[in-house]
This record gives sequence, C-alpha cells and structure tokens, in this order.
Amino acid sequence: MMTKKTKKALATLLIGLLALSLAACGTSSSSTTAPAGTTAAENKEPIKIGHEVALTGGSSLWGQSEKQALEMEIEKINAAGGVLGRPLELVAYDNKADQTEGVNVAKRLVGDKVVAIIGPAQSGVGIAASSVTEGAKTILIGTTATNPKLTVNEDGSVKPYTFRTCFIDPYQGKVAATFALNSLKVTKAAVLMDVGSDYSQGLSQYFKETFTAGGGTIVADEAFRSEELDYRAQLGKIKDAGAELLFIPTMQKEAGLAMKQAKDLGLDVKFLGGDGWASKELVELGGEATEGSFYVNIASLEDPTIADWVKEYKAKYNANPVMPNPVLAVDALRMVVNAIESTKSTDSTTLANYMSTMKDVPVLTGKLTMDPKTHNPVNKPAVIETVKNGEFTFFEAFAGQ
Amino acid sequence: MQMLMQTLVTGLAVGGIYALMAVGYSLIFSILNFSNFAYGGIIMLGSYMGFYSLTLLKVPFAAALIISMLGAALLSFLNERIAYSSLRKRHAPSLYFMISAMGTSIFLENMVYATIGSDYNAYPAIFKQSSVSIFGSTIGKLDLFAIIFSLIAIYIMNYFIQHTRTGIAIRAASYDSEVSQINGVNLSAVIGLVFVLAGLLAGVSGVFLGMKYMAYPTMGWITNKAYISAVIGGLGSLPGAVTGGLILGVLESLVSVYVSSLLRDVFSFTFLIVLLLVMPSGLFGKYLEEKV
Repeated sequence: MMTKKTKKALATLLIGLLALSLAACGTSSSSTTAPAGTTAAENKEPIKIGHEVALTGGSSLWGQSEKQALEMEIEKINAAGGVLGRPLELVAYDNKADQTEGVNVAKRLVGDKVVAIIGPAQSGVGIAASSVTEGAKTILIGTTATNPKLTVNEDGSVKPYTFRTCFIDPYQGKVAATFALNSLKVTKAAVLMDVGSDYSQGLSQYFKETFTAGGGTIVADEAFRSEELDYRAQLGKIKDAGAELLFIPTMQKEAGLAMKQAKDLGLDVKFLGGDGWASKELVELGGEATEGSFYVNIASLEDPTIADWVKEYKAKYNANPVMPNPVLAVDALRMVVNAIESTKSTDSTTLANYMSTMKDVPVLTGKLTMDPKTHNPVNKPAVIETVKNGEFTFFEAFAGQ
Repeated sequence: MQMLMQTLVTGLAVGGIYALMAVGYSLIFSILNFSNFAYGGIIMLGSYMGFYSLTLLKVPFAAALIISMLGAALLSFLNERIAYSSLRKRHAPSLYFMISAMGTSIFLENMVYATIGSDYNAYPAIFKQSSVSIFGSTIGKLDLFAIIFSLIAIYIMNYFIQHTRTGIAIRAASYDSEVSQINGVNLSAVIGLVFVLAGLLAGVSGVFLGMKYMAYPTMGWITNKAYISAVIGGLGSLPGAVTGGLILGVLESLVSVYVSSLLRDVFSFTFLIVLLLVMPSGLFGKYLEEKV
C-alpha cells in the first residue's frame, strides 16, 4: 500500500526527473518539420540541406552567424528560382559544439533525408559525426574543422562522403611556426594548449614540429583541461623557462584569459594563436594584454574578395559576420549547389563522386579545387591578423602552398 | 625558490576564491545537512548582476558589489522558499533536497542560456591591469584585493555566527533543529537567514569570479572545487571551509608546476579520497556521529 507520504515523495522525485529530462532535451530545431520521404519525382519538393551547428554554448557566437549566413544565401537562391527548379530548405539542429550532441544531430539529419550536411565547425564534433554520416552515405562538409582526421581514416584512406572547405591544422600550425621564425624572429617558444580539444592538440603538434625543424626550441610545453580558467601555474613555469613567444592554440576564451593572466605574472612574450581566436571576445576578455598579439586566420573581414558579401550580410543583420565560419559555410553551400546543378541529381553517391574531383568551382572565398585523395581544398590562403588598438587588423597574407 | 614562492602565491589567490564559495556551501550544509548544488547557479546570477550593474547601470564598483550581494541573497532566499521549504516541512530525506537542488541548478543555467545567451561577458577593467611584487613573486592587484576582501567577508560572517544572538540561534539549529525549536527558535526564519547569508557570499564570489575570469552561463561548475574544499575542511565548518579552499588552491598549483598540469585533478581528488579515508569527516568536521 502506498502511504500519502510516499506518494508525495514519489511525485517530488518525478518532478525532479522531469526537470532533468527537459533540460536534457534542449536540442532545438529551427526548421518546420516537412513531410518525410522526398521523392525526386515531385519536383517542387524542397531540397533539404542539413546544418550541424552550435546554436547554444560557447561556440554559438559563430554558429548563429553561420546559420544567418546560410539563411541569407538560401533566400537568395530560392528567390532566383532555386536549384533544378526546386527550393532549398535549411534544416539546422543545435549540436552545442559537443561530440555526443553532434552524433545525435547527425542521426537526426540522416533521418530527415537531407542531401548534404554543412558543418560541424569543430574537428572533434565533425570526426564523431562523420562516423554516422559515412555509414549512412550522407555528405558532410566541415566548415572550420581543420583536423586532418575529419576527412581521412586512421589508415590514411579518404572518407568518401566527408569533405571540408577550410585548410587543415598542419598547414595552420606550419603557418604559425613559419611566421614566428621568419617574421617575428624568435627562437624560443612555449606552448599552452587545451588537452581536451582535438583542434588544440593538432595545431600544437604541427607548430612544434615546424618550429623545431626550422631551428627553434620549444622551451615549455604546457597544457590544461577544457573548461579550466586559471593557467597561472602553467604560465609561471613558462616564464621561468625564458620563452620569447607563447603559442596558444585554443579558443578565444582560454586565449584571452591566458594572456591576461600572463601579463599579471609579468610574462613579457609575444602571443600567437590560431583561427580559434577570431572573436571580439578575445579582446574583451584579455583586455590590454591582447594588444600586439598575432593569430592565423582562415579569412579576414578585410579580404577584398568577400567585401561585397560582407556588406550584404551587414545590411541584412546589422552586424559583421563572425569570421571565419559564415564564409566557409557559404563555400560549402555553393559547393553543394554546384554539384547538384552539374550532376542534375540529388543522389548522395553521385554528388560525392563529383565533389571529390571538383576543380576551380567558384565559391565565396575564390575558386575551390578538391584534392581527391584527402578531400581537402587545395591552395586555401591564410592570413595573419593582429590586435591593434583593440581591433583585429589584417597583418600579412600567406599564399596557398 | 622563487618558483616555489610564485606557485604558493598563485595557489593562495585561487584558493581564496574557493574558500569564499566553500563557506557558502558549508553554511547551508551545516543547517540542512545536504549539499546545495544550486549554489553555483546563484553565484553565476550574482556575477551577471554585477556585470550588468557595471555595464548597463554604470554604477561604481562598490555599488555593483552591493547590488549583486543583495540580489544573490534574495535569489538564494527564494531558492530555499520555492525549492526546499516544502520538502523540509514534509521531512523529506536529504536525497530529495539534492535532486531538487540539481534541478534548480540546471534550470538556472538553461534560463540564462535562453534569455541572456551564451556569450562570455568580460567585466570592464576596474583596476588598471597591474601587479604587485611580494618576496620576488608577482600577484595581480585584483587577486590581492580579492583575497583580502574574501578573508574579511568570511571573518565578518564567522564573527556574526559566533558572537551574536541570531548567530547562536543558527548554531543551535545546526546542532539540533528539533530541540532548538522547542527552545523558541523560529527554525524557518533561521533557515531563511542562512540562505540570505550564503547568498551574500555568493554575490561577492560571483563578482570576483567575473572580474578574474568572466561571467557566463556554465561558470557555476567552478563551485565543484568549492564543494571539494568544503568536504576537505569538513562540511558544516566555516574555518574548515576556508582551510580546505586554501589547501586545494595551493595543492593544485604545486601539482601543476612540479608534477604535471594534466594530473592536477587526479592529484586533488586522490588527496580528497585519502583524506576522507583517514579523516572521514574532513579536517574540522563535527557531524559524523550524529549522521550515523
């Protein structure tokens, strides 16, 4: 028999569980559910483009901008009559830049029968998601996922349905190390990286390799766990080691705080980072400590190639796109549209085969050529930006290899 | 040698913040015998209040600190009245309090995500970034200020609990709520007051965390460290919470520098487990006998 007290206790427990489960179901969808089972025969049926994107959480700043850019682009395409006479429909789900969520989102998008998935922006999430999409023969195009393992398997073979529109970590780490050696003329560098992030580990590995190969010495190699906020213990060690340059291949949050704390400790070094820095938050969090720091980026707002597009975005959303994600997502979309139009098909295998050997396809950032062996675009240029008077300023360009 | 001094100073700076939060945890534990995981959420909201007071209302720093202390105190009070008081009246086991606390914590975090958003909010620079030299090691002025202010706040709190009439009522209730009620202590009022006091400290912690790092929705996670500090010191003991916080801060720094920054948490938690094996109620704990 259930006493009144146990009943009440049970009810409370249920409410608690409900609250927990509600919080867990936070994945939000931004598209209206369209009827399932798209057949090519009904030609007015929209072509669904999936979008794996962080709409909440630490990476949402880029994610939101990425989604806005795609929405703007799709609006334009649809206004001009769509693709093969069919309108495009963006199906965006929030992956919170989290690997588990990324896998869930990939499963949902596969279930929604999207023609291709744009995103994720994070290497770790992309690698996890590609394990789902490869099996389901669904095309996935990473935007800013720079880790080589996104598009190739551990044994070096290419994943047939996975692509990217950005350059890869070795290149970014190489650019950073070459810039440190040749332009900044330093020989003693320290690294502070986030061990919980594939991105950070990839960049730091290739930076160290190139830097030592070029005659430099890594005097301190320090790390922290994701979500930690205090790096003073590690920075104290770096100061003691006598570094001239500190390479911080992390996101803007960690980098901003690390620079601020380094200045607190009286650490007098040059700071260098990767494209993860590219957010105004870097300067807001790091304050004056970020002045004069450098980072490698995939694209620059001041890049003349995309100037018109940036103007258009700004006119529509009253803000600058949060670089570089939106630009690379648009590149991915144009890749898909080009493939559909050229092959007159929405079959994923046909499209993937076509994309694999794409050559000089016009995209937002220039002309895109795919390396069939790795599914990485070739000759992607990089830029070095610096913080000047609290603003990101174009410093120098690095032409493609 | 200089490296060691620098590590100790850094450790104390981190430990000072742990201590401040641990005191809030311990206060609530001492009276309700459960770990209030919603406390991290209150600290986070306190941090946001400080941030908006400084940026939107543009009040001076002292006013912002007071606003977030009072705001966090009010939230902490409401937290108890809404989430715990009905459980308390039904004499629910502490597991239910903990579930309710977790629910509150997730609710607060997601509410901020949904309304304010997930951006990182950096506090405006209150002190010009500069550091002070002590025995050859450097410490940021802000850190120094935070340590001193935290210790003063904790001292005042301890004085209040040890030496005032209300403080005696709190202590009596924390020893035995039934007997203190028989002796005329209004238990509901005392519990409310404890949550208000913990809330005041949450406001201070929130503002300092925001100044040192930033304000963002999941910043409450850092209270895990405060919780561990409170356990090391002995849950329910205020001097224990302070000692636990400082020990944990220094230990973490030492491990980061002399062992490996990656093994930091492995060491801290091993230390916690070993300590609990040797001293099950923590360094200054007093509750073990009554709980069994």
